[in-house]
Amino acid sequence: MANIIVSLIISLIVVLAIAKIVSEKRKGSTCIGCAESGKCSSAKSAKKQP
Amino acid sequence: MKIALAGNPNSGKTTLFNALTGKTAHVGNWAGVTVSKKEGLVKTTFNKTNADITAVDLPGAYSMSPFSSEEAIARDFVKNEAPDVILNIVDATNLSRSLFFTTQLLELSIPVVVALNKSDLVKNKKTDIDTQALSKLLGCPVIETMATKGFKNGLDNVISTALELSGKQQAVPFENKCVDLSDAKLVEAADIKRFAFVKSIVEKVEQRQVKNNTQTMQDTVDRVVANKWLGLPIFALIMWSVFSISQTHLGPILADTLVGWINAFYSIAEGLLGSDVSPVLSALLLDGIIGGVGAVVGFLPLIMVLFFLLALLEDCGYMARVAVIMDRFFKHLGLSGKSIIPMVIGTGCAIPGIMATRTIQNERQRRTTAMLTPFMPCGAKLPVIALFAGVFFNDAAWVGTSMYFMGIAIITFGALVVVRITGEKNARSFFIMELPEYRFPSVKRAVVSTLSRAKAFVIKAGTIILLCNAVVQVMQTFNWQFEVVAEGATGTSILASVASPFALVLVPLGFGVWQLAAAAITGFIAKENVVGTLAVVYGITNFIDTEELALISGSSDVANIMGLSSVAALSYLMFNLFTPPCFAALGAMNAEMEDKKWLWGGIAFQFGMGYVVAFLTYQVGTLITTGALGQGVIYGLVVTLILVATLIYFMYKGEHKAEQKLNMYTA
Repeated sequence: MANIIVSLIISLIVVLAIAKIVSEKRKGSTCIGCAESGKCSSAKSAKKQP
Repeated sequence: MKIALAGNPNSGKTTLFNALTGKTAHVGNWAGVTVSKKEGLVKTTFNKTNADITAVDLPGAYSMSPFSSEEAIARDFVKNEAPDVILNIVDATNLSRSLFFTTQLLELSIPVVVALNKSDLVKNKKTDIDTQALSKLLGCPVIETMATKGFKNGLDNVISTALELSGKQQAVPFENKCVDLSDAKLVEAADIKRFAFVKSIVEKVEQRQVKNNTQTMQDTVDRVVANKWLGLPIFALIMWSVFSISQTHLGPILADTLVGWINAFYSIAEGLLGSDVSPVLSALLLDGIIGGVGAVVGFLPLIMVLFFLLALLEDCGYMARVAVIMDRFFKHLGLSGKSIIPMVIGTGCAIPGIMATRTIQNERQRRTTAMLTPFMPCGAKLPVIALFAGVFFNDAAWVGTSMYFMGIAIITFGALVVVRITGEKNARSFFIMELPEYRFPSVKRAVVSTLSRAKAFVIKAGTIILLCNAVVQVMQTFNWQFEVVAEGATGTSILASVASPFALVLVPLGFGVWQLAAAAITGFIAKENVVGTLAVVYGITNFIDTEELALISGSSDVANIMGLSSVAALSYLMFNLFTPPCFAALGAMNAEMEDKKWLWGGIAFQFGMGYVVAFLTYQVGTLITTGALGQGVIYGLVVTLILVATLIYFMYKGEHKAEQKLNMYTA
């Protein structure tokens, strides 16, 4: 029983971490954990102007 | 409703944008910090209507005829996306230059509100600007603002005025009929007319105290800190002090509390798990997740102190002087003077640093700068520096400082190599930069910037680093048959078998063990992972000694567990700092270089430099300290010679091509 609970806790932590990464990516963050994340433009908008 | 914030570089647009929206976009007391547009909703304290107001922070521009890509972003936005109102931020300390752009904005038939920013600095200079007269002459409202001092200083007025103006016609005080932009003479003549108009306005509205040619206090300070000979030693001293405070004095004291909490949390979790839980699960939760993440988060206070001090330096105007100091060297290397700005920004994070290369017009210089910027140690590398400085060098501040100077030395070497490979060794550049005035740094802004970075660090630790540590723990626990490896036989684990081939390559660098190789590999996902993975593979809960209020020093168990000499530790540190940055930074390099040849060439150069620097550090250091060369010297020498020969070949090829080109022109 204890093993199941611990497995669930570990799974929950991992799922939450993945969910946070996915949600940050959906918000347009180019990289998680960068102070500029979500504020800097994506690679596409970084194209040079003629 | 959309309000575009437009104005000259370093006029305070981003500071105003942050104040209006509550965002924490990076600001710097110098030109060229913002290179892309940013959007945010205006806070309800300023917006009394029910409708959303979006503020758009645009990169600085001197005119509507752009010279660089970020100026083009500003021009294209106001021209093509038709904002409802343009909020033109005018630097009141430099009215004549700023109004040139203002008169161009007024021609666009979009209502303009002029925010006369830095009005506090103008008053200090005993300069008077008649805002009412200026408003009359320009045909638009002019509001004095102090973006750095909060909303009581004109910002509330700015938004209410913008709301009133939305949808109304804009008067045009000066209009240039269509000018053929391809005709330089016509453009110049039109600009002269516009300057004359601006001059006539400034003469009517501005009264400034006429200064004689005696030096101001600022000039005196600049003569010392930006001096040809003193500039660099002063910069070294300042960086040493920053590292000393953050890693030896204040940082560890603050870290003590946090590490205490992490330890307490670890103990509670350990107690709750008890002996009934499977050792595999217990190790995954305690050592992999809590221990691994905790080891990285333990460095947070040290990093926060460092970022706080760097933010103060940037805000007071010193970092702009560093750009001037470095330009003396860089202009001889075929780099743009503007190359320094991305490198200084890169000390925070390589990604915005690489993105800042957009301000460089010359393609080769832009690509070279994007390739070399990651050599400046970024924030993610600081825990690695702090760990090794603490464990192997008794918290010596020279370790961190020397890593910055080592980064500068590699950048210098890299620039010399690239300029020869591309056959442009005679290229020279000129760097004109408006030095911002020194000002007392804002503690509030530094705190906001530090907290924003700290939040990002914690998010990274709780996501990417957590997942990596969990994966490392699982890979270390099981073998390829997915059986739990026996105690003391971790060498048979999946992790060991994956990392061992890499470890072989690293033998000549002094750290050819799979644990260190594994940590270096995970560092390519995020550099903080080096610390997290070392904690997991060596089973260390934290690296900070809470009793002595210091990083664990050389005499401790950690150094013994790793089994590294001080020289090998320095070599390992350099390898992690000077090999390619994280994948996200490589993505930014790809976006800015827009050329696969340059990208892969850059990555190969970064790998080569990291390897050779670590090899030389270990072998020369071992020779000096023990009187004999280290392990694998022949093998490492062969690799080094191959890399050097490859560079020489490309340099020869580049110069040959350049000669051919020259002959073709002279023939």
